[in-house]
Amino acid sequence: MPSTTNISSKGLTRRFGDHLALHPTDLEVGPGVTGLLGPNGSGKSTFMRCLVGLVRPDAGSAVIDGVTLSGDGVEIRRQVTYAPGELALYGELRADEHLRFLLRGREDEAFGRAKKIALILGLPLGQKVRNFSHGMKRQLIFAAAMAPDVRVRILDEPTEGLDPTKRSEVLELMAEDAQDGRTILLSSHHLGEVDAICENLAFLDGGRLVSVENAQRVRERTSQIVRIWWTGGAPKDAVQVLSSLGEEEVKLQDDHLMIHLTSSDPRPFLKRLGDAPLPAPSAVEHGRISLALLYREIYGVEGV
Amino acid sequence: MSRSTKGWLFTLLGYTLVLELMLAAAILYWPNFRDNLGAVKLLSKPLPVLGDIIAQVESMGVAAYVVGQHFFKGCNVLGAAAAALIGAAAVAGEAQRGTLEIWLARPVTRLRLASERYLSGQAVIWLGVFLTTLTIPLLLTQVDEIMRLDRLMLCALHQCLFLGAVYSITYLISCASSEPMRISMGVLFFMIFQFGIYMVKTVTHWSVYRLADIEVFHHILVDGVLDWGIAGPMLAINLAGFLGGYVFLKRRCP
Repeated sequence: MPSTTNISSKGLTRRFGDHLALHPTDLEVGPGVTGLLGPNGSGKSTFMRCLVGLVRPDAGSAVIDGVTLSGDGVEIRRQVTYAPGELALYGELRADEHLRFLLRGREDEAFGRAKKIALILGLPLGQKVRNFSHGMKRQLIFAAAMAPDVRVRILDEPTEGLDPTKRSEVLELMAEDAQDGRTILLSSHHLGEVDAICENLAFLDGGRLVSVENAQRVRERTSQIVRIWWTGGAPKDAVQVLSSLGEEEVKLQDDHLMIHLTSSDPRPFLKRLGDAPLPAPSAVEHGRISLALLYREIYGVEGV
Repeated sequence: MSRSTKGWLFTLLGYTLVLELMLAAAILYWPNFRDNLGAVKLLSKPLPVLGDIIAQVESMGVAAYVVGQHFFKGCNVLGAAAAALIGAAAVAGEAQRGTLEIWLARPVTRLRLASERYLSGQAVIWLGVFLTTLTIPLLLTQVDEIMRLDRLMLCALHQCLFLGAVYSITYLISCASSEPMRISMGVLFFMIFQFGIYMVKTVTHWSVYRLADIEVFHHILVDGVLDWGIAGPMLAINLAGFLGGYVFLKRRCP
């Protein structure tokens, strides 16, 4: 549980027609970067939109930086910046004009800071937004969300569609921002994209909060998983042989074996694997895990 | 200049220019029309309502011709089309292009967003009518006629309340919808239908255009006051459209 809570939701619920998009959700987020992870349709965006008052919750409450969510949420939106996940922008505007549009209602200095961030990211501010690529639009929204001097930022998929270099730059800017004591809640549907800068991770599935964990702990748990492939599929006795090596759990998964190690250091296991009477594997993967695999193997949630 | 201001000015300029061109052409044609009134009267025989209009022009002269051409024809047709298009795009246009979320996500109250969007649309419609009406006395000097500007401005106010009502209803629907094209087409078809039934003697009294026709404007010109029996309900529709739109926008999800 965070020592200082900057975002607090209690029983936040939202229904769209018959579909319960967000089950009653309790979440407390403190300073630093917290990742909200889940597959498409898991309720991440609905939760974030509820927090900033863009979607009215059917039940529950939220407090951000001491301000309680009420009315049309404008009081909350003065306390936070929000970067929407949807990328529709006004194509007829130049990028600098668009930053002004996005920063309406913010302090005057925010525009200068936004331009600075945009220039760091290499965005051509004099160009019409209609000429921007998907990634450039994403960065423009990001620059506007990072500029105002607020204590809380809520960013819906800020790294979606970015190439690895830009993603690193964006993550670096977020990490620097959080070092100043700010709270950043960001969402993603790729575990490996954002977890490096997150201190805590909250996992959503089907509109339900599956788990909230320390990111380091999640990294340790994911690094306890090793997957091994052989050309032509796993040998028939591979499960038996590897189980006898003393590992916690060995499972045959379609075309490969999945091993849950007893520690996050794979070296002792890899040594035993080398000595085992098995053909040489064609590939061994360690510590890289998809969100779907994490949900299935660690949280026991199927079908993600 | 901001995006919205640029778009607003462009729309106002286009709308006003077309209205003015129609008005100027009509007024400059007045001497020919007056001289051929007899022939026009004969031509209008198959359409009794049109015959009534011609009879009004015959008895009231240039005043009926000007209000008929400018308000009843120009503003009622072009203004209603503008009201339908601008009103439909007000909020539904943002939803259709996907920009509703960034429009709403800023720290600006929805009441303010609703007011700005509503008033900017009304301003285009009202300014277009008032600016063109201001030029009528000047244009009339070209055909050696005169009309009182203050009475004309009262007619313009009445016309704006009528067009404002059309705009307000369209705006209200726009606040609850994501399909501006459907809304504008629906309103346009409704207004064309209303114009159509105005011309049919047996059902003309069912047409909303009875609220802004030559007879109504003639009374304003003669009496020098608005007919609040008509203007009052139109003003109420304007306000109700705005408030209803705000209620929808307040509850609207991006």
